[in-house]
Amino acid sequence: MALLEEDHAFEIADAVLAASDADETEVTINCVEDRFVRFGHEGPTQSADRERYDLAVRVRFRDGEGYREARASAASLDEASVLGALGRAEILARVASPDEAAVPLGGPVEVEGSAPSRPTQDHSFKEKAEWIEAALVRCEAESLHGGGLARTTVTSRSIVNSAGRRVHGATSRAEFSLTCADGGADAETIGGSASATSVRCFVDQVDVDAVIEDAVTSAVRARGADDLDAAPMDVLLEPQAVAALLTFTCGLGFGARSFHEGSSFLTGRAGERVFSEQVSIADDPAHADLRGLRFDGEGSPRRNHPLVSSGTAHGPVTDAAWARRLDLPNTGHAQAQPSTAGPSASHLVMAEGRFSREELLERLGDGLLVRQLHYVNVVEPRDLVLTGMTRGGVFRVNGGEVGGAVGNLRFTQSLVQALGAVDGVGDRATRVGSLMGGELVAPAILIRGFQFTSKARS
Amino acid sequence: MVNPTASKCAPHSMEALAKSAVDQAMARGADAADARIVRCAEERLVIQNDALRESDAPEDFGIALRVFKDGAAGFAAAPGPYSAMKDSVGGLVRRCLASARDLAPLRRVPMRLAGRADGCGEYRTPVKEDPFTVSLEEKLGLLMNASERLGGRREVVSSLAGMSLRREEQWMVTSEGGSTHQVLVRSGGRIEAVARARGVVERRSYPNALEGDFRSGGFEVVRALDLEGNAERVRDEAIALCHADVCPPGERTLILGGGQLALQIHESVGHPTELDRVLGEERDLAGGSFAGTSDPGSLEYGAECVSFVADSTVAGGLDTRGWDDDGVESGRFDIVRDGQLCGFQSGRISAGRAGAAASRSVSRAEGWYAPPIDRITNVSLAPGHGSLEDLLAETEDGAIFADTIKTWSIDQERRNFQFTCEVAWEIRGGRRARLLRLPTYQGSTLDFWKRCDRVAGPEEWRLWGVVNCGKGNPMQVAEMSHGAAPARFRGVRFVDIASRLP
Repeated sequence: MALLEEDHAFEIADAVLAASDADETEVTINCVEDRFVRFGHEGPTQSADRERYDLAVRVRFRDGEGYREARASAASLDEASVLGALGRAEILARVASPDEAAVPLGGPVEVEGSAPSRPTQDHSFKEKAEWIEAALVRCEAESLHGGGLARTTVTSRSIVNSAGRRVHGATSRAEFSLTCADGGADAETIGGSASATSVRCFVDQVDVDAVIEDAVTSAVRARGADDLDAAPMDVLLEPQAVAALLTFTCGLGFGARSFHEGSSFLTGRAGERVFSEQVSIADDPAHADLRGLRFDGEGSPRRNHPLVSSGTAHGPVTDAAWARRLDLPNTGHAQAQPSTAGPSASHLVMAEGRFSREELLERLGDGLLVRQLHYVNVVEPRDLVLTGMTRGGVFRVNGGEVGGAVGNLRFTQSLVQALGAVDGVGDRATRVGSLMGGELVAPAILIRGFQFTSKARS
Repeated sequence: MVNPTASKCAPHSMEALAKSAVDQAMARGADAADARIVRCAEERLVIQNDALRESDAPEDFGIALRVFKDGAAGFAAAPGPYSAMKDSVGGLVRRCLASARDLAPLRRVPMRLAGRADGCGEYRTPVKEDPFTVSLEEKLGLLMNASERLGGRREVVSSLAGMSLRREEQWMVTSEGGSTHQVLVRSGGRIEAVARARGVVERRSYPNALEGDFRSGGFEVVRALDLEGNAERVRDEAIALCHADVCPPGERTLILGGGQLALQIHESVGHPTELDRVLGEERDLAGGSFAGTSDPGSLEYGAECVSFVADSTVAGGLDTRGWDDDGVESGRFDIVRDGQLCGFQSGRISAGRAGAAASRSVSRAEGWYAPPIDRITNVSLAPGHGSLEDLLAETEDGAIFADTIKTWSIDQERRNFQFTCEVAWEIRGGRRARLLRLPTYQGSTLDFWKRCDRVAGPEEWRLWGVVNCGKGNPMQVAEMSHGAAPARFRGVRFVDIASRLP
């Protein structure tokens, strides 16, 4: 199977539109080709060579009270499955309650097209095995247990609706990640451990050697961690740690629904200074490290959209319905519709600052260098009070010099307050992900008085 | 009603197709193989602010083949329909064997499958009322009635009433002679009110937060939730929370309700006793475990009143079925008995690595698209004695009764956790008194379970369904249940949240 070409996808979608009895119909076709090998210290543990389709039909019947709307989907593209999905959507929509707030489907738009990367699509298991063997050999040389993921994925999405909208795009993604730790139970709490990852748009951009070197040397350095009591401390957060925090701003902070409900830090503060003036954040699907689709879940165009400029907040991101409801422009941040979730920023880019890593460490003076944060979650959304753990190496910094490792710590910290206490932003941003999902581009940042509240071993 | 697409092939055709894939893999040199064909139909209805905002009927259908060759595994999967799957079998076999051959030289220790997967038969979830034959009008009416009772107060800024109904059919064939057919049905729903007052926004949910509560079974599960009957209470508690004090910090006695205990069990007992985590094979994303392979029989996991049982046969469990996705028959076993760790949850691969004779039947995959991994099954806290009211009456003034998860976080080895509940009450005179918001307690797994001094009795015990358990890399989602009755913990640390708010 290959990803569907634009013409083929539009042909399938057009057949659904032709068969639909609804007043408005939208067809979304997603295709995925995915190959991965997951490995532990004894070698590969899982792998998959797989593909899937997802065709979703959204239908709407209009009457004097508004739109009656529903969606159904199928994982097969044969006529019976596709028409089955259409039929289910129509049945659901006919009995749905009318939605007065719904707006008509959007018409034709121009969006920048994109094609999958052939080398990424063709990257083989044999080539992934070479990455993994190099990592395992290096880990074994340092008596570390290595584990991680080698993965290449290409996707395409096509949206066609009865109002004349026809958009199509493709993305590519390649990843190599390595986590290494001393073996045995509790290895990360009592021994050395670290992880590193390279997530890029194209497979030839993945720097496997750098990932291995970073993870292994950091894990070795993290051995023999001292016990450190939790207390507020100045910290230099590496990009992976920054990503674990910023990902919570996407829907809860910048989304129109939470903004409207009053559960966002943006509520009542658009146009005001909310963070340090060193903090600028945009949503930019065209960023060279992301290369996301240039349209949202309704097929509306998405472009570089500023969210915070030099610490000052702009308004929330919207979709068609929320834009009308709040009398704001449609910023192109719809999820697949209909949805209760509300719009969300999904291509966050935190702007690079002016400090090199050495300058950031010097500026930090005495504090902690944190490589990664784990299992971060929201305690209170209004001020984005978050809690989570450090992971993968926490090091003392004394007089700007990186010193020995300390044990993992839990933090309970308002992200709004933390981003207000940023005292330095690194000059190199990179694409990183987090356990709770999503990927974004972030630099290292220096935060004063980060609130650590307990330690892993008590 | 939205009837799932009818299968155009007799069940034996599916079995024959799966068998054909396995036979071809074995004929071309596999050491072992299994094939699963999975068809899943779901119906999701969500009313938000009195309008149907989410109305979805997804279907999923595909075939997965897994082969073992020279101590390594290969996995390939392709979507339906039947004709496409039939055409894809030859390619799946070739791709599985090729990837296993490419990966085998990397195995430092060859994979070994513990036990056998030779079970044959059929399992069907007992269903009193097929959820796909109940009319849509009735379902929407049920949700709309609940939704209307969530509103009517100006403080309510958002309300939600939803249900999700799912039917999964699976055919599995193994090269060891196993051939099984399963039809698994689960149903559930939820209501939620978000209120705003005095600059505070609070949410209250029923019967549980996140996706709600689910059980294996038909529409009778949704009816039993009585969403409508609980809506006004949920609305009023959401508003009252906006006016409540933040739970004060300090060390106190904590009584956890069953819904919150389910999450506590999930995170601090379920995950750390998955054998692949114990063996370090989940370390690259979700993490490992504080527990080691030599700990069963010697590790004191909790107080003597604490026992946990894993059971993939328990009535109503979300992971209640005939066989796991390795083809191993379901069963029941102790994880912790009278406070002592007894054993781990394992699949055939992890059990083989650990040198065990057989797996514990917990290997599961998300549909046809993913390879199976060790997953928490239905893990429950054994009941003690007495009612919740007895427990409250016997507890000192100043203790906290908290319930319903709001947020959760636990470290990569499942030791340090911090959980916030939706709601809490200070106990005065043996009863729930002052309402408190943002109750946030922090602890360390073994220490916490050792602080348990009483678990309420069977009359308070029930299963709570979890439908959003993420694990693996790439992440897969699985469902399971946790049974619990309210339990009491002494000397628990509450975190100072008030000072972190604006």
